[in-house]
Order: sequence, then structure tokens, then C-alpha cells
Amino acid sequence: MTKKTVQKTGRHTRASVRFRKYFPFYLLLLPAVTAVFVFNYLPMYGVVIAFKDFKMARGIWGSDWVGMKHFRKIFSDPVFYSVLYNTIKISVLTLVTSFPVTILFALLVNEITRMRFKKVVQTITYLPHFLSWVVVGAFAYQLLSPSYGLLNTVLIGLGIIDKPVYFMVQQNMFVPIYLLTNLWKSTGYSIVIYLAAIAGIDQGLYEAATIDGAGRFQRVLYITLPSLAPTISTLLILNISSLVSVGFDPIFNLYNSATYPVADVISTYVYRMGLGQAKYDITTAIGLFQNVVGLILVLTSNWLARKANPDYSII
Amino acid sequence: MKCLNQYQTNKTGRKKNKTVRIKKAVSERIFDSCNTIFMILFCFTILVPFWDMIVKSFSRPIDISYTKLNLIPPVWTLEAYRYCFRDDAFVGAFGISILRTVFGTAIHLLCTCMAAYTLTRTELPLRKTITVYLLIPMFFSGGMIPTYINMRNLHLLNNFLVYILPGAFSIYNAIILRNYFFSIDRTIEEAASIDGASSIRIFFTIILPLSKPVLATVMLWQMVGHWNSWFDNMIYCFNNDNLLTLQYYLRKLQEELTRTPDTPYGLQTMESAANMSPDTVKAATTVLVILPIILVYPFLQKYFVKGIMIGAVKG
Repeated sequence: MTKKTVQKTGRHTRASVRFRKYFPFYLLLLPAVTAVFVFNYLPMYGVVIAFKDFKMARGIWGSDWVGMKHFRKIFSDPVFYSVLYNTIKISVLTLVTSFPVTILFALLVNEITRMRFKKVVQTITYLPHFLSWVVVGAFAYQLLSPSYGLLNTVLIGLGIIDKPVYFMVQQNMFVPIYLLTNLWKSTGYSIVIYLAAIAGIDQGLYEAATIDGAGRFQRVLYITLPSLAPTISTLLILNISSLVSVGFDPIFNLYNSATYPVADVISTYVYRMGLGQAKYDITTAIGLFQNVVGLILVLTSNWLARKANPDYSII
Repeated sequence: MKCLNQYQTNKTGRKKNKTVRIKKAVSERIFDSCNTIFMILFCFTILVPFWDMIVKSFSRPIDISYTKLNLIPPVWTLEAYRYCFRDDAFVGAFGISILRTVFGTAIHLLCTCMAAYTLTRTELPLRKTITVYLLIPMFFSGGMIPTYINMRNLHLLNNFLVYILPGAFSIYNAIILRNYFFSIDRTIEEAASIDGASSIRIFFTIILPLSKPVLATVMLWQMVGHWNSWFDNMIYCFNNDNLLTLQYYLRKLQEELTRTPDTPYGLQTMESAANMSPDTVKAATTVLVILPIILVYPFLQKYFVKGIMIGAVKG
């Protein structure tokens, strides 16, 4: 009995000595830990309003529980299905366009033989990455404007159309415009990670292959691409996990009330319903649905990747 | 003959490259040419919107029309730029954007570096727990609406601090910084601590000055992020003209143009384009919003690429 007490106090003093020794470090961590708590964990608690009848005046805690009512309402709402369909359609199309194009572009840039030219290409193509979507949206509206857009000038000049078209309000044009804008903005810079991986490939492999008589295309096919497999799979996992979430910025800066039916995705819908019409609880439920599906997707794709090859998983 | 030539030149290193170039197959040379042409076209596509925007910002409103293709303004004018600087809202927004970029980046660097340094201490009690605590928000977040309610409860709506505090810490940057700090020789720290320097002093006088390259990376990252952000302005400081940022100013200008009251979807009539239209002003504003990014672009390119390499090596 006494022995136990002694041990306990002994451990206690050791702990306090250790604590005093490391106190400055905890002090250094304090701002980060506080910021994460206040701006990341508190909103997580706020998710409970998805199961409540939220009244701003009564607060999160004071509002009444309603169970799954909001979810039942969402899943019986045709608008939600149309938004979900748009989200999945746009993200799948983005994935199948930007993913292969980026890999192809990285391989082509890597094949540029003149270093100066390669540098110039990289400088120019990385540039759009550093612009905000507001600016990119302004570019799109300007180029496609019916009154002074460059595309209308060119198409009329070539005799393809005879009067200006307002591309931005055409429902069938939205997805192509979105995909092209996305490619314009992100293809250049996305290759950085591939180029880094290519730079890490053992040059001896290429020399050996050359001696064995492999041509340039064979070297790309049998050395570069397989060496990129882990990078490709990691990026694919990250992309798959965001299949149910299309970024807010690009859609919001390219769509307008004329293209809502084809362009509205979960994030923009949540914004307009939640903040525009103050339907906080039901839109929180939609956001929660999206988050949970996203989490399941990332865990599943990661598990699959790990099954295929432990090196290919991210967690 | 070619073979013999190769054997002879292979002995002298300098001429080796020349021989290889001679040996290049016709198919490879065709590929190289096609690749070069493709790259030039791609760069051209990237640059056209910029060029068009610049041309229109220096043009008179009556000169911009889909009927005329102007590679340079037919009549140069600074009227649009003058209009921008006469607008108090624009000047104010410029100021707010600069303020948030400077303060936001400074606080982010301080907060994230301190945390990252602490996370290098493998012997620190609770280090693992704290790391997991900081990592969880990467996989799950409250979503747009709970975050908004949280900001409201914290009285951060219509408050300049809402631009700065939520971004004070980022786990992603902390990991990059931590990896760099790990690479610094621990014996330097030990020597300093034997000389009587405290941990906090070692951090500020030894670790930080030794980490300039990675600090520059994270700093530029953060600066571009702050300069380009507009979403927080839109949802947290919606109707507050004193807190308007430049990006959201541009966004509002865009909305005014696409939602004119008489035409529901902003289909501008040709007459309105002929009047003193703000289209050239919009172009000039866009140019001014991009200008700071272009000015720091040489540094950006150097450090961004480096930064992503550090992140990639982490694996």
C-alpha cells in the first residue's frame, strides 16, 4: 500500500520535472493548438445541427433535436439529386480529362531537349496556377463575351458563326467551358510533382535500356511510366476522395443564374441555400453527407491501393 | 563510318553529345519538332487571355467590339486605369488586400514555425497525440455552414481578424517546415544549449535563420493565398465596404456586368457596349489585381517548385 503511494508520487514528480523542462515547447505549440481547436474542432461540433431544428437565437445547444428529419427531406428532394448528379458528373469529367492530360504533358515537357526552351515553357505554363478563380472567371467572361469577346471575333472572322454567341449563358456549353478553363489553369503547374518524381529516377536504368537497344518511346513506356506509378496512384487516391466534392471557387466564378441547372454542385448549392436563404440545418446535413462520403471514398481507395502495393497508399 | 566516328569521339568527352545528336533517328526528330510546335501552341493559349486583357484595359470603350480584332489598342488610353484609382472603394480594397497579405502571412509563419519546431522534438511527451490532433482536420471538417455559425458566435463577422486568424496555422506547411528543421544538425543546438541558450532563444536565433529557403517558400505560398482569397470576404464580411478585398471587388464588378436589370442574364446589348461601358475598367482592374503576382512571379517559380519538392520527398 505505502509502496504504491511512493511510486505514484515518484512518478508524479518525475512528470512535473519533465513538464517543467518541456514547458517552453508547449508554449510554442499553444497558438497552433488553440487555432486548430477554435477554427477546426468547434465547427465539427457545429455539425450536430444537421440533426436539430436550428434557431440562431437559441444557439447550437439550445435548438431542438429532430433526428434524421433533414436527411429524409434531402433524399426526397429532386433538386438534391440533380445537384448530386452535377457534382459527380463534373468531378468525373474533370478527373478523366485533367489526369491523363497532366501525365502526358509532364512526359512531353520532360522530352524537351533544349533546356532554355524547357525553362520558358515551364515559366509560361505555371503562371495561371497563381491566379485566383475570380481572375480566371474574369478571363473567361471576357474571352467569351458576346459584345467584345475574342472568341466571337475569331469565329465570325473565320465564318463559322455569323452572329455573336453568349457562351457563358448556354447550358450545353457550361461543362466544356469549365473543363477547358480548369485545364488552362492547372495543367501547367500540376506537372511539377511528376517532374520531381522523374528527376528521382535512377539514370542508370535509362543507360542500361539504351545499351539494350531501347528507343526513346520504349524508355518512356518501360521506365518512366512504371517509375511514376506510386506518384500517379497517390494523386489518384486524392482525386477519388474528392469525387463528391467539386471545388466551390471554379463553379462559382463561371456559372450564373442561366446555367444553374447544369452547373450547380453541392458546395455552391449549400452556399446559396444555406447562407442565401438561411437554411442552416438542412444544408449542414448536405455538407455532412458530402464529408462522410468523401471520407469513406478516401479510406476505401487507400485500402485498395495498399492491397495492390503498400507503397502506393497515402495513410 | 558513323560507327567508327562514334568510337573515336567517345574517348573525348566533349564531342560525345554531338555524335548522339547525329545518331538521332528520323522519327525522333519528327517527334521533337512536333513536341516543340505543341509546346509553342500551348504557351500561346496560356498567354492569349493575358494579352487580350491588357489590350482591352488600354483601349477606349468604343474600340472594343467583337467586330474588330485588335492586337494592340488602336488608340492608347489610360482612362480605365484613371477610373480605377479615382474609385475610393478600389483604393481601399487594395489597402485591405495588402494589409491582410502582410499580417496574415506574418502570423501564419510565426504560429506554424513554432509548432513545427516543437514537433521536431521526438522526446516531447504527448507529441504523437498532439500530431494526431493537428492532423484530424485534414480528413474531416465541419463544412461551410457550421464554420460560418462558428465565426458568427466568435463575433468575427465583419471583423478584419477573420481574414487572419483562421489561417494562422496549417498542418501541411507545418509538416514541410518540420522536415526541414529535422535536416538541421542537432549538434548546433546542443552546443548553443551548453552555452546557456534557452530553447526559445535557440529557435529564434539559430533554427529560423538557418531555414531561410523553406521559410521563403512557405511565405510566398501564404502571400499568394492571401492575395487571392475572396471567399472569406464574401461570406464573413458580405456588405462591409471597409473590409472589401481586391479580389472580391473584382468579383462584384463582374456581377454588376453580368446582371444588368433590364436583361435577366446579363446579355448586354450592343448599345450599352458603345456607351461608357465599364468593360475596359474591368479589364484594367483585372490587370491591377494580377500585377503584384506577376511582380513576385520570378521568386514564386523558384520557391514554389522547391517547396513542392520538399513536400514530395517527405513521401
